[in-house]
This record gives sequence, structure tokens and C-alpha cells, in this order.
Amino acid sequence: MFTLVTVLLILHGLLAVALMGVVSHQAFAVLFPARSSGGFVTAYRAVSAARFTNATIVLYVITFVLGGWIYPAYRVSARIWIETARLWPISGMFEMKEQALAIGLAMLPFYWLVWKDPRDEETRTARVATTSMLLVIVWYSFIAGHVVNNVRGLLGQ
Amino acid sequence: MSLTQNITRVFGIFAAVFAIAYTIAFEWHWELFSYHPRLGEFGWGRQPSRQGPVMHWYGSMATGLVAALVASAIALPFVQKKAPPLWLGWAVPLVCIVSWMWFLRTFFLR
Repeated sequence: MFTLVTVLLILHGLLAVALMGVVSHQAFAVLFPARSSGGFVTAYRAVSAARFTNATIVLYVITFVLGGWIYPAYRVSARIWIETARLWPISGMFEMKEQALAIGLAMLPFYWLVWKDPRDEETRTARVATTSMLLVIVWYSFIAGHVVNNVRGLLGQ
Repeated sequence: MSLTQNITRVFGIFAAVFAIAYTIAFEWHWELFSYHPRLGEFGWGRQPSRQGPVMHWYGSMATGLVAALVASAIALPFVQKKAPPLWLGWAVPLVCIVSWMWFLRTFFLR
């Protein structure tokens, strides 16, 4: 019933959700820092953002490797169906996802470097920019992957 | 300065060179290898499809990785005296990602 690819795809999706949570938490904390932890939104931002760095790196790498593992299955089945159905924007969404994720992967050592000392004001701009980029890459990739995964249901074909 | 500190100083260069080399590899067909998923076979360089689709993504990443490692190794002695600018690590990848939107525009304009 469930093939290995299906299991890996579900695992890939679950890890992507965890990654989104971790990187969003860190990005909000660094973009909109809060000193107190009053309401839910303030408490969400009032965390030690640096603590999320290693978790982001580990989750990114594992999710990426799983995605790369199941990519051939997408290429020989789902993508051919998408192209036959002439759903070019859907195919393009996935193309953009793979390029952004590859570039994001190579940014991880630099991301770790700028988070090594979160109190260093010299690295603040790089820290905010890198974290924001990873946030956008991860969210975009999740949405694009989700749309591609559910394309037949979503577009009713 | 220790070797470890020097290595961390080239992380920005690594990210920048990977982004550029990966983008060039994909656009100019400089992939190190191609993969034929239906056959389960690899082949050097950019290959045409054979009994099914061909994948260049892994090969483009390999090209980017090799270029980034070589550039980082070359830069290693120089960063000991002066750290490279931090913007290399994020601004160059950002420009490359934006350029990808341009390269892939045909998917959205058909």
C-alpha cells in the first residue's frame, strides 16, 4: 500500500513543518525582538533566537537529503503528469524551489557563523538578512512542494 | 589565528561562490554529471535524456560545491589578515535567487 517513497515523502513533509516552526520562531525573534513575554505574540518573539540555529541547520539538511532522495520518483512520474497536463506554472514553482533550496543549503555554514555570537552588532545585518532569506526559502519551498504534491486534488484534474 | 577561525571566515565566500557557480552551471550546462532516474545511471557532464527524463540538479550542485571548495581553499591564506565582507554571504546568494526568477520566467508566461 505505502511504498518507501510515500513514507519518505510524508517524513519529508513532517520535517519541513518542524523546520518552518523553528526558523519562523528565530526570524520573528530577531526581526521583532521583545523584552517581555506578555501575550502570545510577544512571548513568541521573546525567545533566545540563537538557540534555534543548530536545530534549523540539522532540520534543513535532513529535510533536504530526504527531498533529494525522493526527487527521482517525482521526476519520472509526477513531473511528467504535470507537463502532460500543461501545468507549466506548477512545474516552474517546483523548479524555483529546488534552486532556492540548493543555494540556501550552501548558506548554512555562513548562517551558523553569523549566529555564533548573537550579541555581535557587526554581524547583525548579515544575521537578519540570512535568517530572513532562509525563512522565505523554507516557507516558499513548503508551499510549492505542498501544491505540487496535491496538484491533482487542488486543480481538479 | 587558528585554522578553525580561518575556515569559518571563508563561509561567506563559500556561500557566494556556490550560488554563482551553481547558477552558471545550470544556465551554461556545466553540470559535473547527469542522472537518468529511470535507468538508475549516472553519466559525466550534461547528457541528453535516454529512455526517460534526465536530471541535472545533482550535477549542478556538485559543480557549485567543487567551485566553492576551491575558492574557499584559495581564499584561506588571505582571510587571515583581513576578514572578507559579510555581505558576500547573503547578498550574492540573494542576487542569484532573484536571477533564477528571471531564468524560470518562461514557466509562468506560457
